[in-house]
Amino acid sequence: MRLLQYNEAINEALSEELARDEKVFLLGEGVGVSSLATTRGLVQKFGPDRVIDTPIAEAAITGCAIGAATMGYRPIADLMYSDFLYTAADDVLIRAPQWRFLHGGRQSLPIVFIAGSGGYRKVGPEHSHSPHSIMLHHPGLKVVVPSTPYDAKGLLKASIRDDNPVFYMFHKALIGMKEDIPEEEYIIPLGQAKVRREGTDVTVVAASYMNYLAIQAADKLKGEISVEVIDPRTLEPLDLDTILKSVIKTGRVVIVDEDTERCGFAGELMAQIMEHAFDELDAPIKRVCAANYPIPSGFLEKFVLPQPAQILAAIREVVK
Amino acid sequence: MKFSKKDLIKLYTNLVRARTFDMLCTRLLAEGKFVSFYHEGAWGDAAGVGTATFLRKDDILYPHHRAHGFPHMIGKGVDPKYYLAEHCGRATGCCSGVGTVHALFEEYGILGQSAILGAQFTVSVGWGLAAKKNGTGQVVVASFGDGTLARGTWHEGANVAVLWKLPIVYVLENNGIAQYVSLEKAYPLKDMASLAAGYGMPAVVVDGQDIVAVAEAVGEAVKRARQGKGPTFVECKTIRVTSHGYGSPHMVDGEQRDMNMVEELKKREPLSMYEKNLLKQGIITKEDIEEIAKAAKEEAAAAEKFAMESPIQEDASILDQYLYAE
Repeated sequence: MRLLQYNEAINEALSEELARDEKVFLLGEGVGVSSLATTRGLVQKFGPDRVIDTPIAEAAITGCAIGAATMGYRPIADLMYSDFLYTAADDVLIRAPQWRFLHGGRQSLPIVFIAGSGGYRKVGPEHSHSPHSIMLHHPGLKVVVPSTPYDAKGLLKASIRDDNPVFYMFHKALIGMKEDIPEEEYIIPLGQAKVRREGTDVTVVAASYMNYLAIQAADKLKGEISVEVIDPRTLEPLDLDTILKSVIKTGRVVIVDEDTERCGFAGELMAQIMEHAFDELDAPIKRVCAANYPIPSGFLEKFVLPQPAQILAAIREVVK
Repeated sequence: MKFSKKDLIKLYTNLVRARTFDMLCTRLLAEGKFVSFYHEGAWGDAAGVGTATFLRKDDILYPHHRAHGFPHMIGKGVDPKYYLAEHCGRATGCCSGVGTVHALFEEYGILGQSAILGAQFTVSVGWGLAAKKNGTGQVVVASFGDGTLARGTWHEGANVAVLWKLPIVYVLENNGIAQYVSLEKAYPLKDMASLAAGYGMPAVVVDGQDIVAVAEAVGEAVKRARQGKGPTFVECKTIRVTSHGYGSPHMVDGEQRDMNMVEELKKREPLSMYEKNLLKQGIITKEDIEEIAKAAKEEAAAAEKFAMESPIQEDASILDQYLYAE
């Protein structure tokens, strides 16, 4: 075991997969330096043909990934910030997810789009998005949102080995988190949620950085309310069974989602829980999401993004 | 580049076949047998056939949407009946009836197609990079129209293609009209090939109605790409004598098209021009022409029969199967 930081775990997964399979390559603007150090040092290890620095050209980066994938390569396209996916939306949201489908299932597209997401760093409305609901609206794209260094590594390795397009979104506010990582190789299959805290009074579903906040809330409420915290880890595929099992046990649900409340993933998950377990619910489901504003820069951020106090309040209210 | 007699007859035969399929597609759409679109390409078809006929089987080709790429695919050696069946929503189609206007013939280097113009500029970067990595001399040929060249994806793709010396040939089929907008309203200069100069990419402008000139220019560009010298731009000046898509208004810049001008354009019909040339040079005879036309008609009739007798794709179980690879 070694203590690794979240971005170091990502770096290690990339390094191991680049070493394991020569069809894997990485491209993106500044991957040789890497602003969040997720890809730093890889070009020295694998050379500029496997770790390719590109101009600021998201459409070329993502389109390149699609083309190379149809020829048997396994590209990892680094978009730096998940907000930048919109500059390449045609490839990321239309072309990659639909390509296999509309060509009669004859091809597979093993692509990983990787980018840092989320707010809480006061970097404003164009560098703080959590655009997973947009991705989920496009069937054919898997969505991975790791909340710990251990998961970041195991889920990234699974994403790279998956034969489908995967958007792997790590959270910028988790970069400094440290965790023991085994020396030996491990992989975390996509589509398996994790129960982070066991509890009996209320189920809190939260992914990525929201999971970190939800665990803090659960620990704070110890002795007052028994909170079960579930981390979906991947939003597509979604492990609804693990969530429903918990709902049946607790009868009460809070969903914490960093995305904008309106038309977000929280609303979707509420609907799915009601469709499958309405009779198990003892109270209306509550959600804690980003308020329906752009994410402001600077100190106003806290009025839009979900805050720990709101999570505590929602849990207390739903168990009333 | 010197073409053999056999090569010249192959070009002619493929052009006749492409034209025959264009007429077939137009009729099938009019009869309601196509499930979605058809964008006619007659009179503008020499560029596609000339571009594709002498490519290597493993070269990668992105067909232009005009004439739905039939000229390109026929040139490449693909049996067009599976693409025709696709247009009719049949299970035997090249995309199993899911794509309708999309083509996939992997063994012929047609690795898929997008219906959003400009995709070829970014996706071909990946094909070019993979071809370069494979190191077997494969070349990527991306075909597109003047309308498509207005997309920003051109800049992102072309810039990287030159930087990385990718084996890509860009073939512009410039017919002067992007759907309903004339080139004059879309681009400030006469030759769009001038766009290539900004990247230090060699460019050549040819008469797109002269099938041999197209084949020669593309052949030179392909040779250059195969030698590892990077991308080349070929602009083929062609014409459009039909509306944008069958059944759509025959208008440009908000007005009905000037039909006198269209009649003038029709004088540059590439098949009859080429035929006349071949007859004059004694490369083909009247009998050869009749035979080639007859064979093309039979091929088209057989393809129509194949498509119409194939089962309609209505198996909903494929939706799950096609969404994700296992």
